Amino acid sequence: MQDGVVLSTVDEFLNWGRKNSLWPMTFGLACCAIEMMATGASKYDLERFGCGAFMATPRRSDLMIVAGTVTLKMATRVKVLYEQMAEPKYVISMGSCANKGGPYWQHGYHVLKGVDEVVPVDVYVPGCPPRPEALIEGVMTLQKKIANERLLRNKWVKHA
Amino acid sequence: MLNVDFNKLAELINQNVSGANATVNTTEDAKTDSSISVEASKIFSVVEFLKTNKEMPFNALQAVSGVDYVEWMEVCYIMAHFDLTTPRELILKVKVTDRVSPAVDSVVSLYPAANFQERECYDMFGIKFNNHPDPRRILCPDDWEGFPLRKDYVAQKVYNGMEVFPDHKMNYDDREFIVRQDMIKKAQTQAAN
Repeated sequence: MQDGVVLSTVDEFLNWGRKNSLWPMTFGLACCAIEMMATGASKYDLERFGCGAFMATPRRSDLMIVAGTVTLKMATRVKVLYEQMAEPKYVISMGSCANKGGPYWQHGYHVLKGVDEVVPVDVYVPGCPPRPEALIEGVMTLQKKIANERLLRNKWVKHA
Repeated sequence: MLNVDFNKLAELINQNVSGANATVNTTEDAKTDSSISVEASKIFSVVEFLKTNKEMPFNALQAVSGVDYVEWMEVCYIMAHFDLTTPRELILKVKVTDRVSPAVDSVVSLYPAANFQERECYDMFGIKFNNHPDPRRILCPDDWEGFPLRKDYVAQKVYNGMEVFPDHKMNYDDREFIVRQDMIKKAQTQAAN
């Protein structure tokens, strides 16, 4: 009997399931997307962390990796895609452009100065572009963040 | 440029297109960046002549680009002839002096390749192409204000509810930023005169 019982809290159990099956959206905007693809491919193998299943639709994904330059023209689309995702949803801002405008922050008339102007960002990954290891660290940071969530008292669950 | 006798070509243009007023701009190294300037109002006939003539034909339009010199604006047509025996290349320039509503004739009916190129030129410099089949912007959003590659361009403050330059993220003391602002101001006063 003893071997067949595992004790845990509901929060911990749900968070464990959630953090180990993060499905990112197939969504690349610029050169950072190349690094994101490399991260998902066999050499860096994002699947080890349970988040290699890149979904081709926002409706089925939990994680939006904003990989690249967010132009003002694209920013409205990014916002719509974020709103289409089912909750709980998380955002990783990947690379300098998505973090703060990158090389376009002072003179670029067409670039949004950081994707956090339009969607809430959970983890910022610096770099231009970040190496796959950096993105993996960003994903793991997000997983730690998810592991510490108090689901039953969380903003996602109303009337708890 | 390849295999083009500029003086002869300018002469040919002048003989066949009345009022084209073709002149040769030579550089120190005559083999590199020489070009031919023609009247803006005659650009369609000139390009048509260059395409159809028997002596020195050009069968491709490689690029249409704009340049802003503040006092005037220029549209450059890079033409080429792809041929195994005598390949050639030519830069054809027209000067547009009106900054408020600059316009030249479109050459899309001669070279379909000019379609996107002319749209980009309109998008970045505001040069209108008469008789263009699809005269929209190509890169900027349709409701964007101003023409970004003009020297006196200042970006709008807000686009679609998003701040273009949020104050808390800008460094107005940056040396390069100040230099750039000075350049824009200088171009604005110059363009106003």
